[in-house]
Amino acid sequence: MDDQGCPRCKTTKYRNPSLKLMVNVCGHTLCENCVDMLFVRGSGNCVQCDTPLRKSNFRVQLFEDPAVDKEVEIRKKLLKTFNKRDFDFPSLRAYNDYLEKIEEIVYNQTNNVDVESTKQMIEQYQRENRDVIQRNKVKLTREQEELEELLLLEQQGNDQRRLDTLQEEQRQLQAKRKNKQALLDELERSRVPATILLAQHKDRVAQLETRIEKQKQVVKTTTVFSTGILMGQTVSLQPMAKIEEVLYRYQPLYIETYGPPVPELDHLGRLGYLKHVRAALPQDTAGGYSSGLACHRALQDAFSGLFPVPF
Amino acid sequence: MYHNSSHRRFWIFDNEDALEILRCQANLKCRNKMSTSGKVSRAESMFLERHEEQVLFRYYEKRLLDFCNAFKPAMPKSVVGTAIMFFRRFYLNNSLMEYHPRIIMLTCAYLSCKVDEFNVSSTQFVGNLVQETPAGQERVLEQILEFELLLIQQLNFHLVVHTPYRPMEGLLIDIKTRYPLLENPESLRKSADDFLTRATTTDAGLLFSPSQIALTAILNSASRAGLNMESYLTECMGMKDNKETLLKLSDSMRRMKKLIKEYELPKPEDVSAYKEKLERVHSEFNTTTNKRKRGYEEDGHVSKLPCLAEEEEWTDEDLL
Repeated sequence: MDDQGCPRCKTTKYRNPSLKLMVNVCGHTLCENCVDMLFVRGSGNCVQCDTPLRKSNFRVQLFEDPAVDKEVEIRKKLLKTFNKRDFDFPSLRAYNDYLEKIEEIVYNQTNNVDVESTKQMIEQYQRENRDVIQRNKVKLTREQEELEELLLLEQQGNDQRRLDTLQEEQRQLQAKRKNKQALLDELERSRVPATILLAQHKDRVAQLETRIEKQKQVVKTTTVFSTGILMGQTVSLQPMAKIEEVLYRYQPLYIETYGPPVPELDHLGRLGYLKHVRAALPQDTAGGYSSGLACHRALQDAFSGLFPVPF
Repeated sequence: MYHNSSHRRFWIFDNEDALEILRCQANLKCRNKMSTSGKVSRAESMFLERHEEQVLFRYYEKRLLDFCNAFKPAMPKSVVGTAIMFFRRFYLNNSLMEYHPRIIMLTCAYLSCKVDEFNVSSTQFVGNLVQETPAGQERVLEQILEFELLLIQQLNFHLVVHTPYRPMEGLLIDIKTRYPLLENPESLRKSADDFLTRATTTDAGLLFSPSQIALTAILNSASRAGLNMESYLTECMGMKDNKETLLKLSDSMRRMKKLIKEYELPKPEDVSAYKEKLERVHSEFNTTTNKRKRGYEEDGHVSKLPCLAEEEEWTDEDLL
């Protein structure tokens, strides 16, 4: 039975669909109830591996395999220290080696391989690169802030636009209402025949409509992406390497048949060849057979190699 | 298609002499092999001469033809043609003294059934040896299977043979369509068919392309009926401006007709005399050949002696 379950109280997802499984840094699961019970004091040891754990470090298990949860946690923590970026390295090769080293450390920590030496490696790295780490951290937070600012700006822009459209609609509604009111007033007071007044009113309404339509069409187009990059501007990526090659030129296939030319399959009927072969029965045609095929083959065979070949 | 087949590239020879040379070489090679095998001090006279081989070859070829024609279910003509072509190709490079034609001819027929998609089971095939007891048929079948791979190898794995039957159909269709001068092309068919049947037992298949053979058959049939079809060649085949091709073609046709005219069935007394000789050669040698071929059975349960005995009791006369 590979149903997920709590290793302590043996409850499974099947029996208790609302079961919440939790994972801590060691990568072993416990259900929420057991966590509440065992870690009343805020800390304790893992039931399975005796690692000292803190209650606050328990997370809801997101992946079926708790080891993945553990790895995600470790990676998140590790990347806080190993926060160098590609332009901190002299070459791509060095950067790739560095990434590989990170992967190795993550793997070791996840699977408890060479725990001590790995820990030492991390500490050593931390000591050696303290200022770089600090600097990058600051830089990262700054970038983060910039990004947030951008998002905020965009949000504000959206709000503004929505407000604008709302106001515009309001105004249009008012104009229409006013128009109607004016018509009624005029009908009440004026001595001009009602039909003319109605016609005038219709004209006005039409004018108003066209104005609204026009306004709608002149919607301000956005020119900037949320990332701050102008629309239409090409982001300078690595220029595509152009490969100059000689273009393939189709050369029709020529086969020496050592005989007179054979009429083409499609022309057999027109040339009258098909009158001299047995017509295909309906049941023959099911498989794609046609009398032309047999006729063409016989003709090909008849003409192939007919002329004496000079030896 | 014939024009890019192994048939055209490897199995069409320049002239009759080239074939004769190959056959003489095969005969000589076999003689040398047998006399150097050291076992015996045999007189030269015991071997078959080349012309004696030719007689026996004709004889067995006829037998093969008869076997195929009597075959049940009836064998299509192309299967028969393929079988005989296999037989001819095999003995182009091998001597009758080395491999007994009796079994090779059956193997050729068996293989050609497979190659030409004429589906008969192996038991059904040997069931056609009506003179044989079921046990005898079983033994023949065993031998056929034993020689089958050797045959394929000797044919150099070129198994597709283009027979002249479909080309003839094609030519008839073409004549009906493009050559209305001829009133009743169907009337040519019988005699042309006859020509093709006779051509199979000659070297025509090793010298000329199937379409040439078919064309010769039709033209021959026409001239017998007193019709001149020269204009068909010049007008329809586009040989008007190509006198050289036309000449060459008519030369080929002449050679082909000569071949067919020259063919004659071997005399029975010659056959029986040479056959005796052949049997003698084989009884002396098939211990060795057998050993080679039956190697895998030898180290098992089949001993040499019963094997020999079995060879002897199965003679030609049982075949048909």
